[in-house]
Amino acid sequence: MKKDRRQSVLGNQGHTNPLLSRRPSRRKFLLKATGAVVAGAFGAVPLRGWAADPVNIGALYPTTGSMAQIGVGCVAAAKLAVEMVNEAGGIKSLGGAKLNLIISDVQSDTTVTRTETDRLISGNKLSAIHGCFASALTLIASEVAERAKVPLITGSSSDQLNKGRTYTFTPFARASQFAQAQLQMSKLVSDKPKVAVIFENTAFGTSTSNGLKELAPAEGVEIVMFEPYSAGFTDASPLINKVKSSGANALFSVSYLNDLILIVRTVKQVGLDIAINGGSGGFVIPDFYKNVGKLAEGLQGVAHWNHDMDADAQKVNAEYQKRTGYFLFEYAGGLVAQTFMIADALERAASTDPQKVRQALSTLDVSSGYAAMAPGGKVKFGPDGKNVYGRPIGVQWQHGDLASVFPKEDARAPLLKT
Amino acid sequence: MLETVVQAVINGLLIGGIYALVSIGVTLIFGVVKIVNFAQGEFVMIGMYISFFLATQFGIDPIASLFVTMPVLFVIGVLVQHFLIRRVLGPNDMPQIFLTFALSLLLLNLALMLFTANYRTVHTSYSDAAIHVSGLYIPVAKLIAFVVAMVLSGLLWVFLHTTDLGKAMRAAAQNRDVATLMGINPNRVFCVALGIALALAGAAGSLLMPFYSAYPFVGQVFVLMAFVAVVLGTLGNVVGALIASLMMGIAESLGIQYVGADSGQIVVFAMLLLTLAFKPNGLGGGRVR
Repeated sequence: MKKDRRQSVLGNQGHTNPLLSRRPSRRKFLLKATGAVVAGAFGAVPLRGWAADPVNIGALYPTTGSMAQIGVGCVAAAKLAVEMVNEAGGIKSLGGAKLNLIISDVQSDTTVTRTETDRLISGNKLSAIHGCFASALTLIASEVAERAKVPLITGSSSDQLNKGRTYTFTPFARASQFAQAQLQMSKLVSDKPKVAVIFENTAFGTSTSNGLKELAPAEGVEIVMFEPYSAGFTDASPLINKVKSSGANALFSVSYLNDLILIVRTVKQVGLDIAINGGSGGFVIPDFYKNVGKLAEGLQGVAHWNHDMDADAQKVNAEYQKRTGYFLFEYAGGLVAQTFMIADALERAASTDPQKVRQALSTLDVSSGYAAMAPGGKVKFGPDGKNVYGRPIGVQWQHGDLASVFPKEDARAPLLKT
Repeated sequence: MLETVVQAVINGLLIGGIYALVSIGVTLIFGVVKIVNFAQGEFVMIGMYISFFLATQFGIDPIASLFVTMPVLFVIGVLVQHFLIRRVLGPNDMPQIFLTFALSLLLLNLALMLFTANYRTVHTSYSDAAIHVSGLYIPVAKLIAFVVAMVLSGLLWVFLHTTDLGKAMRAAAQNRDVATLMGINPNRVFCVALGIALALAGAAGSLLMPFYSAYPFVGQVFVLMAFVAVVLGTLGNVVGALIASLMMGIAESLGIQYVGADSGQIVVFAMLLLTLAFKPNGLGGGRVR
């Protein structure tokens, strides 16, 4: 980790080796280190034509621990985004200053997130931060950033991130909007959707499913079964047997990955003709398909970003896929857009001062380019830091890929009725 | 309506077969060696990982990998008995309890370190297949698991009742001192008992792999049910454990269907408490078979 950060501080210029390879040779390191020291020594002398001081951007992601897989993917995307900004000439109003990404591992742990965020902010002169994937981690990082007055931009969906904060910006759909989108998607499957909601009976499952239950009447969706279950069951058959006798034509499963795999398999075995919506998070990452295989075909979910949304997203996705072998997933794609939002703010602020960057972010208004790469194609923050145009996108697994199918304006493929 | 009940019973019976493999192992160890093996679930987990890697690296069908997992776990069982359990067999129970408990924690955390907490699944041609008969369905992978589990239980029964080693094992279970006086080498018998018990856990792992995910905590899910079955079917009673496992599978399934999806375990444990209240020694009535 330390080495990783040192590397990112000292030698990101000309850093073209494959993503995630983090072992430069000793000679290379010494060379870069000497270069950096020399640059530092002469930095005090204003030289025309000499590269401007880089702008430090903090990135907080869990690259170890239970969320490591997603965190590593996020870091790969963050590096790609910074390279893209720098290759396009950096921040022109700052004399073509390059972005310098400083990565910090929050280890999928709330306590570590607090200390790491603190350390990142106090140890570096940062202009902005993005992170941390899981809402539970982001909430903590955001608290620390608020106190330190450094703007934080995030794709995390918790509605709490928009309450009483001035330095936190959320360019994508909120958790409450996800539930609504799920209910609306069920109307694509049938004119009279009868939804069975099954959810694991701890905090995650109950809060999400209650959101669905509250919004259902307003959306004209009938919930015919609303059933908690204990996570980590041995057999999904009795549960699916119950779904079958409920007469539902759509199934919302608020589940952890292992349970979801069992549920999907059992539905196929029973031969039940039902549209399954698995929500977001772990459901919309390449790993899900790797685990579930062909059974994932036709499954629906919701996301705040998808790689087929527009030409820009497709372009970034192609590059990311070339480097990592996987498509650019929701969270990683979103943070590429976030990096460009920060770049846009830096450009207009013409300053690396975090408070000026916050000011510029609050007046961000884009409808084209990589910074506007969000469902709907527009980003403008309200006083609560929420993107006033933010909306979720309905997705479906089709041929091993995640296709955008809802709403109509964002759909890139028709919904397959399985 | 009737269809739903029958389907619930079928589901319960099929998963009960897997519970049986785990609980027979636990009850055999308790009956013969007189210790409670808390690590039994972790050996199921090891069996699953062996099957998983054989399937993904060499393309061996998980069911066929029974022929690898069972011998490997048999050997592990013999080694565990010879080098660990043998040392703590004595008048004091506490070291035995802590030994198997420590073994369980060690294996669990080793697995977390080596394999990470990721879920690993294997796809076979029959993983998602099911036989449909007049509105009912029987998943093929579970049916295979159930049949193999019953065959293995039957073979164990035959072994215990017809072979000299099997009879020696039952003798050691009934009265260790007298058995020793009759010329039975207890450590040898205990080694075989541990070996067989762990081989059954390995078999459960292989049989689970086509329809369940392998992850470090997977053993905990099954071992809890196994302990209930062992107590319900009278400690040390192999036939009792088998019958109790099947009953529990059915009770759990009916509970989920008619009481609530998070009540499967409530029904199972209520059944356990009721049985113990009226038959404190379990359904087997205290006889060790």
